[in-house]
This record gives sequence, structure tokens and C-alpha cells, in this order.
Amino acid sequence: MGGTQKKKFERGSATNYITRNRARKKLQLSLPDFRRLCILKGIYPHEPKHKKKVNKGSTAPRTFYLLKDIRFLLHEPIVAKFREYKIFVRKLRKAYGKTEWSAVERLKENKPTYKLDHIIKERYPSFIDALRDIDDALCMCFLFSTFARTGKCHVQTIQLCRRLTVEWMNYVIASRSLRKVFVSIKGMYYQAEVMGQLITWLVPYQFSHDHPTDVDYRVMATFTELYTTLLGFVNFRLYHSLNLVYPPKLDIKAESELKGENEDEYAMDSESYPEKLAALSASLARVVSTAEEEDAQLDAFPTEEEDLEKVEAREKEQMQLETQKKIFEGLKFFLNREVPRESLAFVIRCFGGEVSWDRSVCIGSTYDATDETITHQIVDRPNVDKSYINRYYIQPQWVYDCVNAKVLLPVEDYFLGVTLPPHLSPFVEEKDGDYVPPEKLKIMALQRGEKPEENDEDDDEEDEEQNEDDEDEAEEKNLKEMEKQKSQGKSLQVKVTPGKMKMENPVRLEQEEKAEEKRLAIMMMKKKEKYLYDKIMFGKKRKIREANKLAAKRKAFDDTEKAKKKKTKN
Amino acid sequence: MAAARRLKRVAVSQPGFLGLKSNVKPSELVSSRRKRVNKNKKKNWNRHSDIHDVEDFLEDIRHQERTTGGLLSEKPDDSLFFLDVEAEPVKAEKGKRRVQRPLRIDLILQHDSMVPAPKNVTAYQQPNAKKLRRIAQKAEQLAAKGVLPRRQRRLLSRRPAEKTVKKAEANNNPDRDFYAMWGEEKVTDSADPWYLQQTGKKLVQRPEKLNQKPSVLPAVEVIAPGGSYNPDFLSHQALLQEAHDVEVQKQKQEDKLQRQLAFRKEDRATEVQTIISAVAACLYEDEDEAAAPNEDEANSALGAIAVAAKKTERQRKKEKAEKMKTQQQQASRRQTERQQQLFQLRSIKSSIKQQELQTKARRMKRKARQEAQKALPRRLGRLKYAQDLEVQLSDELAASLRQLKPEGSVLKDRFKSLQKRNLIEPRERAKFKRRLKVKYVEKRAFRQIT
Repeated sequence: MGGTQKKKFERGSATNYITRNRARKKLQLSLPDFRRLCILKGIYPHEPKHKKKVNKGSTAPRTFYLLKDIRFLLHEPIVAKFREYKIFVRKLRKAYGKTEWSAVERLKENKPTYKLDHIIKERYPSFIDALRDIDDALCMCFLFSTFARTGKCHVQTIQLCRRLTVEWMNYVIASRSLRKVFVSIKGMYYQAEVMGQLITWLVPYQFSHDHPTDVDYRVMATFTELYTTLLGFVNFRLYHSLNLVYPPKLDIKAESELKGENEDEYAMDSESYPEKLAALSASLARVVSTAEEEDAQLDAFPTEEEDLEKVEAREKEQMQLETQKKIFEGLKFFLNREVPRESLAFVIRCFGGEVSWDRSVCIGSTYDATDETITHQIVDRPNVDKSYINRYYIQPQWVYDCVNAKVLLPVEDYFLGVTLPPHLSPFVEEKDGDYVPPEKLKIMALQRGEKPEENDEDDDEEDEEQNEDDEDEAEEKNLKEMEKQKSQGKSLQVKVTPGKMKMENPVRLEQEEKAEEKRLAIMMMKKKEKYLYDKIMFGKKRKIREANKLAAKRKAFDDTEKAKKKKTKN
Repeated sequence: MAAARRLKRVAVSQPGFLGLKSNVKPSELVSSRRKRVNKNKKKNWNRHSDIHDVEDFLEDIRHQERTTGGLLSEKPDDSLFFLDVEAEPVKAEKGKRRVQRPLRIDLILQHDSMVPAPKNVTAYQQPNAKKLRRIAQKAEQLAAKGVLPRRQRRLLSRRPAEKTVKKAEANNNPDRDFYAMWGEEKVTDSADPWYLQQTGKKLVQRPEKLNQKPSVLPAVEVIAPGGSYNPDFLSHQALLQEAHDVEVQKQKQEDKLQRQLAFRKEDRATEVQTIISAVAACLYEDEDEAAAPNEDEANSALGAIAVAAKKTERQRKKEKAEKMKTQQQQASRRQTERQQQLFQLRSIKSSIKQQELQTKARRMKRKARQEAQKALPRRLGRLKYAQDLEVQLSDELAASLRQLKPEGSVLKDRFKSLQKRNLIEPRERAKFKRRLKVKYVEKRAFRQIT
């Protein structure tokens, strides 16, 4: 054969990939700079399908990038800024070393910086793309805003994150888009629906913090840099869509309310405005001030294809949603000092309630604990010393459970000192045969509008039990008597009585008919089809059996609990 | 000729002129017989008039004026003479009117000649003095009227330099402002795309593949219902079960390792066995020596047999016949099989169907496995992805929100989530590797103690 022979690893997948070090050398950047650039531009390493081919026969674990991606990186203008920064650092270090302080000042004034706006525009060409990726951004921003401002990471970043998260929370309050809250051991999960997108984010507790050592802070800081820019632009767009002023300003009315004495106790002048915004207790100013918010009437679109039923169903859904957004409307809350103020204030205001807290906790409290019109006071202690008659003292879980249930739950279960019902996760969708915890069943019943069932109070239980026992005993007695009589050969005192008309229950009749039809259809199936049907039913029945097992377990647990309670009582 | 003679006469009349002949006086050299001149001519008034006495007199007067500051005859007596009276030495009274007499040096340096010092005219000369004076006068007139010169007018009309501190705002400045990026109105680039391309300002298009997410997992995975701060009993048990399973797996791995490295009982020889084997070794040693030479002979004999004789014709024919036979048998068998297959069609069909079903099932399984693979974290570097589960044990559960102790850290959770979604490769903290070993030495004092 003539010509050159084909050599291995010269074409195909081996030439599509490039190792990390090679890529770095091609770009002439240091490793941390390369990592930062990849994170900012959204270039991720790939695992090739046939590692041996790409790695030229060896199986050493290497990080591979697509060659086309790296070539695309070469055109990025930020690369030049990275190099400038490196030179700046070198010059600064020299100036420090030579103790030329004027040079140091001059260099610091002209520090090279870069902006990421064009990258955001390139990665998220439309607003909906940006909204889809906002989960991650929100989590990072909330996380960084809880960091301590010691200087380990730039304090400016922390401040910017705080500002953006406060803006986001204010937007969610103004648009009433919060849907679910879940209080977990890791942090608080929130879910909001913004422009049709479901956005979930996680907020850490304010008081956790032991910073883990095996997390790379530079990587996280780079991600945060990108995400703060993204979140800022998204906030801008969202605010404008709601006709609010973009760097957000408090409504003039609300601001005058908030103006209290001793404002400098809380914060410096420069910081008091953002702190007031962060208090989340006042409404925001609008660009074009509207008189009062009116419920927008849904336009009636005459659709030919859809049935009237569907349109009606949708309208009904919409009405339901509107009512669900206002569950706390008209209620006045007061937060005690030991409850998480920001989270509760956020949730309560999202659903229309008014909230305030003690003056010593934070800036921006609108009314005091002594206000007579307060309807609910959120307390987390075993008892309160002074209690007013016309308000409920409840634990904070009530607020979260109400939000998840979308209906006001009975307050009695959440009084002080009462064992709380478990806080269920709203992110779990139960299918037909699955186990549903009894608390959830209760909530669903409430949602449907049925009256709350009798609470498990000990006295009632005892009465019921006693009643049941009595009834059972009576029945047993009757049976025993009948048997005795029969054995004794006496004829039972059975008489022929005129017949009673049995009222035919039409609903029951229908159901029976349906069952009959079903049975007939099953009998008429072919063998193969019957085989498949049996398999499906077996699967379903298995689920139901498991659910029953779990329910039995739960009952056993509840019984033991009751027994324990009885023992302690006695 | 006359000029030369005159020159010679002038040279001779100079004082101090020495002629060649020493006894001849220079004045005699100049011949006293002179040429007779006509004094009435204007030309000769200046040349040949003798005014040296007047000149001398005037010269004398000038001399006096120059040196002594005036004619001596006109000077008062006091300035020329003084009476030398024998006076006591004047005792200088210190501190009292010391400035009575002027200093001697001042007297010496006084200007005592009537001839004033000549004025250096060039020092007072200014080129273009007239012109400049005229200009200054004109300017004064205009200024008196209120008209400013052109230069001042231009200075005043200049726009004040805007001292814009061109501070490039950092990306994480907390007061940075944002603008409408996804503008409601179509905000296209104002410039022509051709212009942008030609000037090198056009940004390169992002390849399509980069818009796909590297993993199908959602960005935020909510923890299982058992992770609630006040969980439902069964969901909490389910979560504990999961954690338990993970721990059991780990324990199993460890146990497996231990088992593989453990010392087997069979390998361990008991004491009795060792004694027996040692004795047996001694006993059989003698026999071995005797048996050894026999074996060598046998081996050589066997070796001799292995070199076989060539195959004979008969053997070759036989082999060929056998080969043909087997081939024929096989051919006929194949033929009959093919014929019989016609009657086995049904079973063949069923077996084919079964195989197809199997392949289909395998294909589905493989596809399902591939889909599941997409959700798993890819292996992107040296380290493997490690997932940790946050769960609180039953006795750690909090009674109220106030007493809740948070488990795990959101920072770590986010970091792991980024790794899980293949955005970064799993990384661990760089260990501190020492290049040179550290040597520990006890202090002398301590060595004495211990």
C-alpha cells in the first residue's frame, strides 16, 4: 500500500479533547485564572466515552475539555484583564517592597477591573433562560449574605449579596409569588412561582456557622461573582415588570410610618436605608403610583377549540389561587424576640399579613407588643408572663404549615407547650397507593372545607373507648343468649313481622352496577390481556399493602405514645 | 612717501625711543628745519597750531577736579589743613553716641571727584523700546475702556476641564447599578454588523453545545421529608434507614478487606504437623539419594523415544482416508440437518422470537442504565464524588425551632451540588507535603531526666 500509514490517536475523539494543563498553556493563564475563566464562561470539563482512546492508551485520571470550547475561550476579552491584573499585582508588590507609598497609592487607584455584563448577555440571551438558572444564583447569594464580614472574602461581595437578596425578597412580597416553605435541619427551603417558572432556593440559618475547611472558597467566590451580576439584572427586569422603582425605595407613606426615634441606635446613616429595606416591613414605591391595587379581571378569551368546562375550570383555579395568596390578610402578627424574625416576616408579608417585632431587635418595627389589635403573637418559649386575651399565642410552625396547606389551620394544635404535629414536606407529591401520613389527611380534609375532626383529647378517647367496650359487650351478650337458647332447643323468639320497605340508595345502586360491569369486562378479557391486568393489579396491591403496613406501624407507635402519656398522667 | 616720513617722525618723537646711535638724542634726529606752512588755510588751523600751554592748563584743572573733587584754590582751609593740637587720647565712651565720627572707610570711599562716573548708556538701552511703550500705552487705554486683550478672552471663554475621576467600577461594588439587559424594546447594536466585523469588535458566537446543561439534575434538590426539623415518624425512619444502609456498606467494605488480609487457619501449621514433617524430611533424605540416579536414566530413555521415526506411506494414506471420511460424514450430517430444518420451522421461529425478546429486553435495560448514568456525577478528575447525607438521630431532634441545631453546612452542600452536576471536578484540600524529613531531637536537659 502506498502513502503514509494511519497513526493512532491522530484523528477522532483523541483530537476532540484536550487536557486541562494543555488548555491552560494554550491560553497562557495560571491555573486559578483558568478555573475562574471556565466558571465565568460556563465551560465545563467532559468525560469522554472511551477514555483510553482520548488519553492515548493510558488510564490515568485526567480532566478533559472539548477543544472547540477552549478555542472559543481564546476570543474572550476578559483574558486580557486577567493578565493585566497579574501585572498589577507584580507592580504593587514591587512598590511595597521598595516602600514607595506614592506609587502604591497611584497603582491602587488605577486597579484594573472587569465587568461581566457581556458574558451574562451571551450565556442567557433571553430573560426566561436567566430565570431558569436563577435557583443556583439565589442560593449562593443567600449563603454569602450570611457570612461574617471579617475580610476573608471581599466584604464588598457580601454587601452586594445582601442587597440583592433583600431586593429579591421584596419583589416576592410585592408579587405574592411564594408558594411553599419547608423548614429542614439544613436550612429553609422556599419555592416561588415567578412568570410561570418554579424557583426553589435554600436559605441557611443565621446562627449556624462553622466554616468547613474542605470547600474551595475561590471557586465559590467566582460563582458568586457571576451570580450576583445575573441576579442584579434579573431583579431589574422583575421590578420593572411590576412597575416598581429599581434601586428599590420605600413608599413615602410607609417611610414616614417607619421613622422612629433613635434611629442611629440601629445603624449608621449610610446603612440605615438599606437596613430599613431589609426589615421587609414596608411596601415599595412605584414608578407610576396607582391609587389602590384592584384585582385584575381576567379577560374572557373566546376560544373555539377548548370546551367551556375547561375555561371554567381554569377560572376556578385562578380564583382559588387568588384566595390562597391572601390567607393572612387582615391578621396582625407580633414576633417575639426568640423567633427567626426575617424568615417569618417574609412569609407573613407574602400572604398579606401585617407583622411587627420588638423595638430592640431590629429597625423598622411598626407597632409595639402592647398594641390591642394584634391577633396572633408568635412565641417559642414554654410560657409567657403577660398574656392578652384577644390574641393567640402560637409557635412559629403554624405560619409555615398554613402556608403549605394554603388554608388557616386550627390554632389549638400550636399553642405553647403543646406537642406540635410534624412539619410535613410540601415538596413530596404522593401518588395514589402511597402511604399518606394522617396529619396530611387531616390537612387535606381541611382544604376541602370539612370541619376539623375531633381532637385526640384524652377524656374523649376514654369515653369513646368505654362506649365501644360497652357496645361490644352488649353484642356479645346477645349472641351468647341466642346460642344458649338454640342449644337448649327452644325455638328462638323469631317472629314473622311485616316487611319494612327498604329505601334503595340510588348512589349505591350506581356503584354496584359499575362494579358488575367491571367484573364482566374482566371475565371477557383474553388470556394474554388478563395476564397483563393481573400483573398491574398485583403491583398496585403491593403498594397498598405496603401503605397498610406503614399505617399499622404508625398506629403501633401512636399506641405506645398514648400508653406512655397515660403512665405519666397516672 | 610723505606718509612714511611722517610715520618715522612720529615714532622717533615717542618717549623712550632708542636710536641706533646712542650718543645722538632722538629729538635731534628729527630735523629742526621744517617745512614752512601757511597758517591762514583752514586745513592748517587744526594741524599746525600750537596750543599746548592751554592744553596743559586745562589738563591741570581737570586733574584737580578729578582727583580732589574741585579746584584746590576754591577749597576751604579746613579741608586742606588741620591744626595739630596736642590733645589727650579721646576715651571712647562706650554706649554713648558712638556714631559721632563717620567711619574712616566711609570717608575714604566717598565720591570726592567733581567728575561724575560715566553712565553706561547701553545699560539703559532697550531694543524696540518705543514700540513696546506704544503697545503698553494702547493696552492701558483699552483696559481703561474695559476691553480685555484677546488672550484673556480666550482663556475665559475656555470650558472648564471636567475633572471626571474615571474610576472603573469593580464588579462587586455594592452600589453598582444595573440596566435593562433583555430590553423590552428591541435594543440592537446600533452599529452595522459589517463594520463590527471589519473593525474586530464583533464578539464571537457562542457554540450551541455550551447552552446544554451538563447534568439533568435540578439545581436545588430538596431534602427528603425526614429531614424536616420536626419530622413525621415514618419519614424520619426512612431517612435513618438510608443512612444506616450507607454505613452498612462502608462496614462491609472494611470487613471484606479485613477478611482478605486475614491469616488463614489452614495456613497455620500446628505443632504436631511441623514435627512430623521435619522427621519425615530427615527419614526420606537417604532414600532420595538412592532414587535420584535411577530417575535420570529413565528420563534419558524417555527422551530417546520422543524422537520418532518418519511417517510411513501407509500411515499417511490412512490419515488421508480418515480425514476424507470425517469430512464426508460432516457434509452428510449438514445436508440432513438442512433438510430436517424444514420440519423444525416452528421451533426455529420460537427460538428466534425468544432471542429477539432477549435482545429487546437487554436494549431496554441498557437504555435505562444510560439514562440513569446521566443523572450520576461523571468522573472528571482524580477523585471520585462522595455524597454525604444529613440526618439527625432521634435523640438529636429538637423540641422547638429555638432549640434546633442545624446539621451540615449549606456551603458544603452547594459545593457538593456543583460537583454532582458536573460543573466542577471533585476537589479536596491540598495536603502539606514536606520535602525534607523532620528530625526530632530531645533537648539535653530532658535526656538527663528520662
